[in-house]
Amino acid sequence: MWATNLKIVGIVLGTLAVYTLIANKIPQVQSEVPQTLTLGANVTPEQLVAAGEKVFNGIGGCTTCHGLGTRAPNLLTDEKGTGPIGVRCGKREAGKNCKQYLYESLDQPTAYIVAGYQPIMPVMTKQLSPAQIWSVIAFLESQGGTVDVTASDIPATAPTSPTSPTSPGGGGAGGGAAFAGGSTDPKAIIAAAGCLVCHKLDGQGQTIAPDLTHVGSRRDAESIRKKILDPMSSIAKGYERLAGIMPKTFGTMMNASQLEALAQFLAAHK
Amino acid sequence: MTEHLLLALQAAADTSHAYGEFPVIGARQFIWITAEIHLMFAAFVLGVPMFAVVTEAIGIFGHDDRYDRLSKEFTRLLLVAYSATAIWGALLVFGLSTLYPRFWAYLTAIFAPSMWVYAGLFFFESFTLYLYYYGWDRWKKGRAKLWHWTLGILLNVWGTIVMFIANSWLTYMMSPPRDITPTTDPTTIKLWHAISNATWMPINVHRVIANVVFGGAIVGAYASYRFLAARTDEERAHYDWMGYVGNFIAMSALIVLPFAGYWLGREIYQYDQSMGITMMGGFMSWLWVIQAFLIAVLFLTGNYYLWIGMGRIPGAERFQPYTKYLLIVLVLGAIVWGTPHTMIADSKELAAMGGSHHPFLGALGVMSAKNTAVNLMILTTFLSFLLYRRANKRPVVPWARTGTIIQAAMFAIAAAIVLFYGIRGYFVEAIVRIGFSVYQVLAVLSCILFVTVIDVLMARGAQSLGTIQWGKMPPRSQYALFILAVTFTWLMGLMGFARSGIRQYWHVWQVMQDTSKYAATPALGYASKMISLCVLIFLSLVAFVFWLGGLAEKSTYVAEKGPGHVGH
Repeated sequence: MWATNLKIVGIVLGTLAVYTLIANKIPQVQSEVPQTLTLGANVTPEQLVAAGEKVFNGIGGCTTCHGLGTRAPNLLTDEKGTGPIGVRCGKREAGKNCKQYLYESLDQPTAYIVAGYQPIMPVMTKQLSPAQIWSVIAFLESQGGTVDVTASDIPATAPTSPTSPTSPGGGGAGGGAAFAGGSTDPKAIIAAAGCLVCHKLDGQGQTIAPDLTHVGSRRDAESIRKKILDPMSSIAKGYERLAGIMPKTFGTMMNASQLEALAQFLAAHK
Repeated sequence: MTEHLLLALQAAADTSHAYGEFPVIGARQFIWITAEIHLMFAAFVLGVPMFAVVTEAIGIFGHDDRYDRLSKEFTRLLLVAYSATAIWGALLVFGLSTLYPRFWAYLTAIFAPSMWVYAGLFFFESFTLYLYYYGWDRWKKGRAKLWHWTLGILLNVWGTIVMFIANSWLTYMMSPPRDITPTTDPTTIKLWHAISNATWMPINVHRVIANVVFGGAIVGAYASYRFLAARTDEERAHYDWMGYVGNFIAMSALIVLPFAGYWLGREIYQYDQSMGITMMGGFMSWLWVIQAFLIAVLFLTGNYYLWIGMGRIPGAERFQPYTKYLLIVLVLGAIVWGTPHTMIADSKELAAMGGSHHPFLGALGVMSAKNTAVNLMILTTFLSFLLYRRANKRPVVPWARTGTIIQAAMFAIAAAIVLFYGIRGYFVEAIVRIGFSVYQVLAVLSCILFVTVIDVLMARGAQSLGTIQWGKMPPRSQYALFILAVTFTWLMGLMGFARSGIRQYWHVWQVMQDTSKYAATPALGYASKMISLCVLIFLSLVAFVFWLGGLAEKSTYVAEKGPGHVGH
């Protein structure tokens, strides 16, 4: 019986050893706690690139979608023959240099949707600090292009997205700046606010949250205005479980004219 | 509120007296080990009563005393296992309250009433178990036996509610309702609002099914040990049969477990897409390759056990030539399922690979291929069961040939549907592709259901080609049952790490940050060592429980008179 017992112990230990060995042979990725990134006034492009690479591969979570080519465009090697992002970023939008384009892509990700991809990217200026954002831009520029981000691009203090010194109209989301540079074009506001990441409107966007195509038949302008300012004020039937997902900050991220334009625009969608 | 601000807010919070330290191994490791082993014992004491009550029912309604004895034998083991569950649970609570006092205070501020209910139900559960076990021989006949069986059901009801309550605490940590923020006073949070969070019910369902699987696997391992230690042919026959029953229940429940997993995954994505992406494509992406490997081991080992078992069934030789084809499908399915795809890769790795995906494997690593592979593996395993079931029977109903043709057609149609949607998935958008998995699952489940119904009807009055030679199994078949039990337990530890790890540096997702020195979530290599350690401790204790069970009372095995058993 001892021989049988030893065989059983051997099988148990052997099985555990095989599983442990395999798990240790695959690439080891640890989820780090995000650290505050502090960059001095004399930060060099190399330091920015190195810091940006860490953010890109770590807390930024960029590699989850980018670089793989399935959920989002490949930024690091090649995207359908157009080269890495540093090569192509300056050619993406007429009149915008690489730095401007990359900043706006991070601040208003739904503004430029590459054909074939869904508008799933979160607003990164809400997720990362300005220093992190600009270091990521430097890193992306370094992928086949020239790094022209400097310390002067990084605001001294800004809790949320800064106004880019090189971005026309800025992309500010906080501190009194408004979506889409203060434009009262409802479609520009919707694009800048990323509404279609969750809502559907006129055949575009996602169906996570209620379809807004006929929202005017359910809510009047006052109700829509109230809902934007206080998303928890009323919850659409069937979406109770998603209560609380809609950001409560839209009211502080657009000016009164924008809010009114948006409410009227949606109310007209009968 | 932005994540950036949340972090700043949390970091600024006073973290003094928030964490304690445990000597030598550290606080997190202590909590990890106690929580994991408590959960494994909890799964044991929830899974085995389900097993016991089902086998007792088969004994009552099928008038087969073997099942009744089997049920009692396992209920006896539960007595010691309950104590072990409570001891590890107490260690966990002491650990949480002394090593993570601030977090524990937060949790109790919300859930205190449910914790008292939990303790009360555990009390009821324990005494129901005592009545169930000690009343076994007293309430053995007639109406009293039905009352006794009702006690078994009640035991399961208490146990399930207890599990649901505990699940609400841990799922709240994963998916707190969205209106709860870091500044929300926990005493103002409504209890039911916290309990009924987004992942609560999917976890409940997933764990109920997983406990059945786990219970069956542990029963199988116990039976295999007793088989190997048996001194007589009769004893060996009894434990061979017990091992078969345990494996049958484990594999049957395993077949539906992935569907509960899909539901849980979908709810996680709907709750927070970034959490879902972290789980499936972020730093945990390699974990799913390991999971695929483990499930491949389960399918292959479970089928291997069945194929060996056909050697003890007269008439099975008709079907044995087909097993090699089943093996080919299973191996191919496992290879496709384990193909890495959406992995975190840096620029150097991508350059080395020559692009974002491997030129050939990239096509096999997507969900269209993987869903197709796993559904075909499930169909193949079901076919193995069917062949095993029919091995010593020759149907005599006049429509037997037609019935078999219909069954074959159902298999072919289900496989065709699975393949069709698998291939079509490459040509549609992701949102459409996800919907295809539902059609694939429905095709497989429908096939399993209708083929089983036809088979049961066709087996009526079937001619026997000979009795099953229980006990005529080579030892390697029993070692396969051990591998199944170890793999199920390890898989449980792995998926627990996945569920808990996707919170990353949050005690409560985006509400309460982990500011301890253990806040970083370790890589899979480290986690695997912890999981193996927990499995080893658990299995050692289970072996001790089995040994104690043997000391307390002789086996309930009673030598059969006459020929071996015919039924399955």
